[in-house]
Amino acid sequence: MNLQPAPEQPTQRLLDIEATPFGDSGLMLRVAASTAEERQAGSRLIRELVFDLQPHGLLDVVAGVDSVLVEFDCLAVSHGQLAQTIRLAAAGGARVAGGLGAAGGPAAAGGPEKTAAELFEIPVVVSEAFSPDLPGVADELGISQEAVLGILESTELSINLLASAMAPMMGSLPFPGQVSRCREPRTNVDPGSVMVAGTSAIIQPFPGPSGWKVIGRTPLTVCDIKEDPATSYAPGDRVRFRVVPESEWEALEGQFLRPAAANSRGTTDGNR
Amino acid sequence: MATAEQTVGLKIREAGWLSTFQDLGREHSEHMGVPCGGAADQHSASVANILVGNLRTGTCIETMGGRFSFTPDAPVLIAVTGAPADVTVNGEAAAMWEPVCVPAGARVIIANARGGMRNYLAFNGTLATGLFMGSAAPEARMGFPQQIGVGQDLQLATSYAGFEHPYLSQPLFRLPVPVPAFSPGTWHIDIVDGPETGAAPGIRELLACREYTVTAKSNHVGLRLDGPVVHPEGLGEIVSHGVPIGAFEIPHGDELIILGRYRTLTAGYPIVAFATKASLPMLGQARPGQKMTFRWVSNDEAVERYREQQRLLTVLEERVRSLFGAVRLPHASVQAARPAAA
Repeated sequence: MNLQPAPEQPTQRLLDIEATPFGDSGLMLRVAASTAEERQAGSRLIRELVFDLQPHGLLDVVAGVDSVLVEFDCLAVSHGQLAQTIRLAAAGGARVAGGLGAAGGPAAAGGPEKTAAELFEIPVVVSEAFSPDLPGVADELGISQEAVLGILESTELSINLLASAMAPMMGSLPFPGQVSRCREPRTNVDPGSVMVAGTSAIIQPFPGPSGWKVIGRTPLTVCDIKEDPATSYAPGDRVRFRVVPESEWEALEGQFLRPAAANSRGTTDGNR
Repeated sequence: MATAEQTVGLKIREAGWLSTFQDLGREHSEHMGVPCGGAADQHSASVANILVGNLRTGTCIETMGGRFSFTPDAPVLIAVTGAPADVTVNGEAAAMWEPVCVPAGARVIIANARGGMRNYLAFNGTLATGLFMGSAAPEARMGFPQQIGVGQDLQLATSYAGFEHPYLSQPLFRLPVPVPAFSPGTWHIDIVDGPETGAAPGIRELLACREYTVTAKSNHVGLRLDGPVVHPEGLGEIVSHGVPIGAFEIPHGDELIILGRYRTLTAGYPIVAFATKASLPMLGQARPGQKMTFRWVSNDEAVERYREQQRLLTVLEERVRSLFGAVRLPHASVQAARPAAA
């Protein structure tokens, strides 16, 4: 087997999948790997694989930071059968991806994320009210508040998964360390709040509790169930944050977040 | 008697403490970060729909506490399941867990629920309601509350047009209905091992022999229980991972959380057990103050119990279908199969 990675392709290796029963109708999948990055990348591959495969008995999939929970119909399939199916597919899939490497490109791992990744530009307002945890985050990382925002703005983030209520969870921020969670989670965080924890960022789509550190707020509506689909982003899409002055809030408030390409096309048509 | 489908108006007279449209929940939504939601007591919701000749997945009404009453402007065929309650049609007591023929203009009351938390009211036909991701189940956090209020006029599309029995005004259907016990004392809930059971020395014995009490802090996200717990040791930080319905989490405080269908999908708390799939409907009926004990079972036993539960539902489904066919009551399976009118 050709193990030479194609130029600029991530190395494709056989996934060493650990499978743990999670109740009579759940199976927790993780990749045995030494670093957090490898485990996260591995879990993403597993998720794509399971979507592609749609194994018999599959009910739903919940993505974790470095794991994938597969929920299944326990009358249709057992833990062992499901784990074996996914491992066999991983072995076959890894070979196919390796073989197609140069020609097929990374999109070959597809699933529902097959469509080309979109880029989103998300304006963020930073203020005393909107950024209660910014000073604490800067202190914890040992850098200035400006430096924290600088890293946020200069990094093109990738949406790793949709967390609670379709919240886009993104990684990873090249902070000099990990940002801890709030000791006491807030019982209510306003929608639009831009939050960080570890080296990840997330946007709060609806009011609700959160233990993440709040460093800004976007005036845009990121999720709206009156839209179909309710979000225009999906895992695999890219995000760039842009800190904007508070004076821009009013003009942007409540606008539904759409990909940058769609927005700039609209602007071009309208203004020029 | 089945006729062409017509629209029946249902006037809501009393709405109970909290009444919503409900069904078995969303499918394939959790990978998008939206919990499946749906009836906390899936068994009762399924049976209610089966008893009126609907598919199990049909939209029904879930009521919680207080008095719920309505008046239809044309005959409707209903079934009420869930916690033991007083059901009356025009003041006459009507049976739960049976199809009930309601004449036009009659007042139907569901009240005094006891021994459980929720009732399910199904109507032959289709209740008109919005859907979010394919389901009528509430998703209040995302702006889809589905709450039913006093004075509201609901619409039902049904082919049912009344039913006359030669001898009895209220027909007596003899159906093999699996009715849960709702026993007044302590409930017994089956559980299987969790990933952190071994890291909490003594939790296995505690869960096996001590009694736990549901507290008032419980909600649709999860049941919170008072009782002795052991905090797992030496685990380090658990990164957020998916948690199934029925997971027994031990948070930092001294309590036990059993996650429900509206759980936050990922969490970092240690999990010391999982309720079996077959025991989830009873957990969905537990009220504050309910006492429960737990029984460790093997995965095979857990699956067998669920298989038996599902078998009984399938048997009931078959019997209702043949009965409705014999007495010419409208049934969803027939309507689905019937070719569209030219």
